[in-house]
Amino acid sequence: MSSLSLGFVSVRLLQVVPSVLGIAVLNFALLHLAPGDAAEIIGAQSGGASKEFVDELRRSFGIDRPLYQQFFIYLGKLLTFDLGMSNVQQRPVLDLIADRMPATLLLMLTAIGIAIVVGVLCGVVAAMRHRKWVDTIVSVLALLCYATPQFWLGLMLIVLFSVTLGVLPSGGMMTIGAQMEPLARALDIGRHLVLPALTLGLFYAAVYARLMRASMLEVYSSDFITTARAKGLSEGRISLTHAARNALMPVVTLGGVQIGHMLGGSILVETVFGWPGLGRLLFDGLLQRDLNLLLGILFISSILVVLCNLLVDLVYGLLDPRILAR
Amino acid sequence: MGMSRLPAILAATPLALALCGAAALAQSCPKTGGTLTYVYSLEPTSLSTIATSAVPVALISTKIYESLLTYEGPALTPKPGLAESWTISDDRKTYTFKLRPGVTWHDGKPFTAQDVKFSVEDIIRPYHSRGKVYFGDVEAVETPDDLTVVFRLKAPVPFFMNVFQPGEAPIMPKHAFDGIDVKAVAAVRAAPIMQNPVGTGPFRFKEWRKGSHITLERNPGYWRKGFPCLDQVVQRIMPDGAARAIAIETGEVDLAPMSSLPEAEVQRLEKIPTLEASQAGAEALGPNLWLEVNMREKPLADLKVRQALSLALDRERIVDVIWYGQGKPARGPVVSTNAAFNAALKPYEYNPRKANQLLDEAGYRRGADGIRFKITQHFLPYGENWARLGEYVRQELGKVGIAVETQSADLGGWLKAVYTDWSFNLTSTFSHNYSDPSIGVERTFHSDFIRKGATFTNSMGYRNPRVDQLFGLAAREIDPAARQKQFDEMQQILHDELPVIFLMEMSYTHVWNRKVKGLITNGISMYSSWDGVSKD
Repeated sequence: MSSLSLGFVSVRLLQVVPSVLGIAVLNFALLHLAPGDAAEIIGAQSGGASKEFVDELRRSFGIDRPLYQQFFIYLGKLLTFDLGMSNVQQRPVLDLIADRMPATLLLMLTAIGIAIVVGVLCGVVAAMRHRKWVDTIVSVLALLCYATPQFWLGLMLIVLFSVTLGVLPSGGMMTIGAQMEPLARALDIGRHLVLPALTLGLFYAAVYARLMRASMLEVYSSDFITTARAKGLSEGRISLTHAARNALMPVVTLGGVQIGHMLGGSILVETVFGWPGLGRLLFDGLLQRDLNLLLGILFISSILVVLCNLLVDLVYGLLDPRILAR
Repeated sequence: MGMSRLPAILAATPLALALCGAAALAQSCPKTGGTLTYVYSLEPTSLSTIATSAVPVALISTKIYESLLTYEGPALTPKPGLAESWTISDDRKTYTFKLRPGVTWHDGKPFTAQDVKFSVEDIIRPYHSRGKVYFGDVEAVETPDDLTVVFRLKAPVPFFMNVFQPGEAPIMPKHAFDGIDVKAVAAVRAAPIMQNPVGTGPFRFKEWRKGSHITLERNPGYWRKGFPCLDQVVQRIMPDGAARAIAIETGEVDLAPMSSLPEAEVQRLEKIPTLEASQAGAEALGPNLWLEVNMREKPLADLKVRQALSLALDRERIVDVIWYGQGKPARGPVVSTNAAFNAALKPYEYNPRKANQLLDEAGYRRGADGIRFKITQHFLPYGENWARLGEYVRQELGKVGIAVETQSADLGGWLKAVYTDWSFNLTSTFSHNYSDPSIGVERTFHSDFIRKGATFTNSMGYRNPRVDQLFGLAAREIDPAARQKQFDEMQQILHDELPVIFLMEMSYTHVWNRKVKGLITNGISMYSSWDGVSKD
């Protein structure tokens, strides 16, 4: 890596710090807007509890202290990367997140893979066959996938593939209790992954397809394509090597932005498919007002989003060297 | 001291066998081996009911931990458990339990009377959500030898023999708390045993894949020889209702306990020949649904207004339409499956015309816009049915001129509004009777339970000295007939004064695959050990 790009990366990395801190402050403030707390909920879920019991819990969680104290304690711990204990589950937040992270990463990366491959291919093909029947089909399908609610699509896929055809499991991440060799286990997880990844991925595939198509059409009308055509290059070569590379820029931008969005979408998909990921941990945490857990997940996921955007910036540089030179 | 001996050995005699139904008493398993997989929406937050006795925790931990007794039948007839036999003194203040010899913990250490004393005094009484109700009157727990436990009570506790359930009074190993400050709630809740349980029950903890499932395996050293029948019990966590229904339909799971399927799905699944749906087996929980009324302010402080509310709502419709027939109209604070139910209570009438009349009499005449007054309502945020009930209440009260504004909140917000801030007019909720009104009913209607910040208590601010007195008497009364009279009068007063609008006796529906045998054995079937449950 040249010294130029090293400088580029370090500047970007430095910019990450204030973003993450800002997000941490915002998270803390937002979560305190919701009424009720974990102590009350633990009391209620036990079928009722005395005030003394609930107060004792509050004391033990430290949520009986003034808000500013709680905030500084939280910030102090954050600086040493200590996310604290989950109030409800009484385990270190970092452990809980580490338990769930692989499942979510697997689901998201597969979904992103599906989205990019399917989306970009469809977009390119549609643009190359602009206003032909292929273009119409791609556009209609993309619109359908975009408009279908994910939980509904998930349920329909389950009904079709699990209940009617009986070829794929309806939920979970692996066959429970089965002793398997690593390879068989991987295949087993793969079988469980198909439906949730499709459900999550198709929505984004639709977005990318439409974006890629529009972007390609725009690039087609630029001067350098006209030049390429004038030089007698084949239409396929023009599309794939010249147009597609330039048309990818907005798709990459959107990809970075949508990582956070996808974390949100994974809550629904993980719920429908019983996928043991971070989205559901977040959702359960919200319902139980598990403050430390929520702050931890939001903190980690914001770092994830910021890092993905950093990655996007770097990919820009690869796609368009002029950005690095600036 | 005269002792009335209740020889528990009776349980094993053929006579008792014939009387009590064979399921729990079978001498051998119909079939041994296999895995029972059940499904629930929520993940347990701990594997001990000491941390929380929420449904998913109670379901799994009751297979791992045991208590001194086991129970039979809907009314919970006590049978031997970790205690082989027991005697009760004539003044009902001394209970002596003889423990079963040769019982070991899942880690191999011997189970002794010290574990019982420690569990009751240091863990259950201070930390179980109902610990003080159960053991608040215990003056001393004595352990004359390793296999004898004596409870000395300050005053008789009529329901004392009901409390030794695995979810309510789980006996935990004392040695697991070595080095832990049991005076500190945080230390107890964070104890390793809360996540890695060590009990004496028929199943021991094997694996917890967070977000996915928990696996228990057979305890080979279980004291009941030849049991449990199953090799494994697995709890799967599936948050989506439709997905749970599909899983039981395809046979991926064997059981959906405690109304864990949407009611509409139950109607569909009931018709499948391989599946069975039943509302039996949860009689000792007795969930009762009502509208809690904040009585601190007019107009709801006015009895006639509350009577009008009651008359304006059609209970049959609530049961049939909103809850798909799974329940029945309530007649008071105690559900009809509870032994203390007062059968003389009249069913509530549905009569909007009379409701209008009462509201007129109370002085709340309709304005030019047809509205008498406005109130707000909350609803328990436990899913769609509760939201639909809120819609129904709004619609029906609207017809008699009461404008209802619905405010929705999630559990945290709802609890705060209803039990901490008392900033509500009307809210739907439900409450468990448990096995005895002194445990489950008193906490809602006794004025001692008007306490800010205590969940599922007297949020209404209802005070009636006679009701307080009756609860006080019943909590000490050892003559069953006299006690029933006290409960009857209490129920009649509450039925008439409507501190809450009693609507529906709920039921817990369990749906299971017919391959599973022996599930329903008592009034807490899903919170029992399942040692005799088998699978074809």
